[in-house]
Amino acid sequence: MSAPEPAIASDGLGRDYGSTRALDALDLVVRTGTIVGLLGPNGAGKTTTMLLLATLLGPSRGTARVFGHDIARERVAIRRRLGLVFQEASIDGLLTVRENLTFAARLAGLGGGAARQAVANILESTGLANRASQPARELSTGWRRLTDLARATLHRPDLLILDEPTVGLDPEHRDRAWRLLETECRERGTTVLFSTHYLTEAERCDDVLLLADGRVVGTGTPAALMATVGEEVLEIEGPDAPRLLSALDEVVTVRLAIKTARGYRIGISGPRDQLTKLAAAAPALVRFTVRPPTLDDVYFARTQDQTLVRPAGVPRQALA
Amino acid sequence: MSSAAAIHGIIARDLARAFRQKSRLLGGLARPFMWLLFVGTGYNTIAHVEGVESYHAFVYPGVVVMAVLFGAMLTAISTVYDREFGMLRLMLASPAGVPAILAGRAIAAAAIGIVQGGVVLLFIPAVMSVTPVQLVAVVAALVLGAAASSVLGLLVAAPLRSVENFAGVINVVLFPLLFLSGALYPTSRLPAALQAIARLNPVTYAVDLMRRALGQPAEFAASRSILVLSATTLLAFGLTTIVFDPERRLVRRDRAEKSSPTERRPGL
Repeated sequence: MSAPEPAIASDGLGRDYGSTRALDALDLVVRTGTIVGLLGPNGAGKTTTMLLLATLLGPSRGTARVFGHDIARERVAIRRRLGLVFQEASIDGLLTVRENLTFAARLAGLGGGAARQAVANILESTGLANRASQPARELSTGWRRLTDLARATLHRPDLLILDEPTVGLDPEHRDRAWRLLETECRERGTTVLFSTHYLTEAERCDDVLLLADGRVVGTGTPAALMATVGEEVLEIEGPDAPRLLSALDEVVTVRLAIKTARGYRIGISGPRDQLTKLAAAAPALVRFTVRPPTLDDVYFARTQDQTLVRPAGVPRQALA
Repeated sequence: MSSAAAIHGIIARDLARAFRQKSRLLGGLARPFMWLLFVGTGYNTIAHVEGVESYHAFVYPGVVVMAVLFGAMLTAISTVYDREFGMLRLMLASPAGVPAILAGRAIAAAAIGIVQGGVVLLFIPAVMSVTPVQLVAVVAALVLGAAASSVLGLLVAAPLRSVENFAGVINVVLFPLLFLSGALYPTSRLPAALQAIARLNPVTYAVDLMRRALGQPAEFAASRSILVLSATTLLAFGLTTIVFDPERRLVRRDRAEKSSPTERRPGL
């Protein structure tokens, strides 16, 4: 039995803007029906990746296929199965919520009755029904973004590409947005590729892709990526922090150490019985915390330059 | 089917937008009426155009074309606003394709031009008598003029990067098209060089066709004017689909992101 076709498969995909290399060479496989988070600092190549996969930009090198269709040659076939959300909401303030959604339905190719039905369904499922006649310019940022998400999903796309869909949202609206996305993914099998700066959101993903300076610097499940940091993370701050860091190797295995503004984040493994004793011998510490690793630690370890000790090189790998 | 639905959607949106921007709509109508009222009345006392009973009667077809030209072209050029504020990329991401998107915009822009020209036309009985046959011919000329104007507007908008260029476009494109069209004065008395330019101006043929439809002296045969206006519409549309660069706005934004080193930390 052959493996199901991936939603996205790219091979050395890259894009230049003049002499600037925005995306170097992306090798990526996204399984159908999964939620994949794209992380990285501003300028890492996240938006370029999404625009390339959404067929809105042409690649400078490499290839990619979306549901088996080539992004350079079969754009229409891909767009028929695509829902897109950009960083800024694509909502016309002069139109009502219903008119915006109807406009999107027609752009997606839905005719009269089908468009009306799709709009009615999405208004109901997103809780926008009682705002349907409201001009979009009168909506709050949260409802505006939710309208944008409704716009991108109303035609039931097989792939959703979302560029920072929850930026600027309060927790309530962020939760609404996530409920919509998870419903699409779990109930309809929609594949979701989204970028975010909220790393706690990325922990809800099936897979995560970390980009920095146009290159992939980490891929895997959130758990697997967090495991590369170590079993736990020690945070130390204060004048004694450098001395403690140099002594740590004697009592635990140091997987990596990241210099922060006020001290260090240190990924550690192995028994930590001696740690408290070591801390007691460093009275000038103002902070000494041991906690489980997070994607935040992975992010800093892979995308920043302050790492003192790096883990063994993580090969570029497929997410499959 | 998907293209037809997309074109329908774009037309419906553009018309809804146009009719909700009442000040812009009224401003567009004020221009021809001010010309008729102030300039027309002033010139009526000093100007005499051969074969026409008054300057008001002479300028009326030109003012109708002025309303069509400004209404259709400015609406089409507003594509640059959509490019600037992100609605265009939404359209470009649809399966409809660039020609369908441009067609939708052109039809909507032409419709707005026709509405604005039609409103001016409603008052023509105050200046001259018009037979039903003449009226049908005038409306046909209005439609042809609006189609050419809207597509020329799209062609102008295609290479524009931002709305800051908009005022310049009006001065550099719209006014010369109007002033060298015979809408406000006969081009036959212009210097030879300007006459030659006027003959290359498609708006000249819209004005001439309108004059002929109203029974005024016309320079060109109706068939020639119809041919020029139709050819202009088709050629300009074809050229726009070639010149139009869907990546332009996207590349600008992404470049900006790439070159901004300000925030390199995640927003936790």
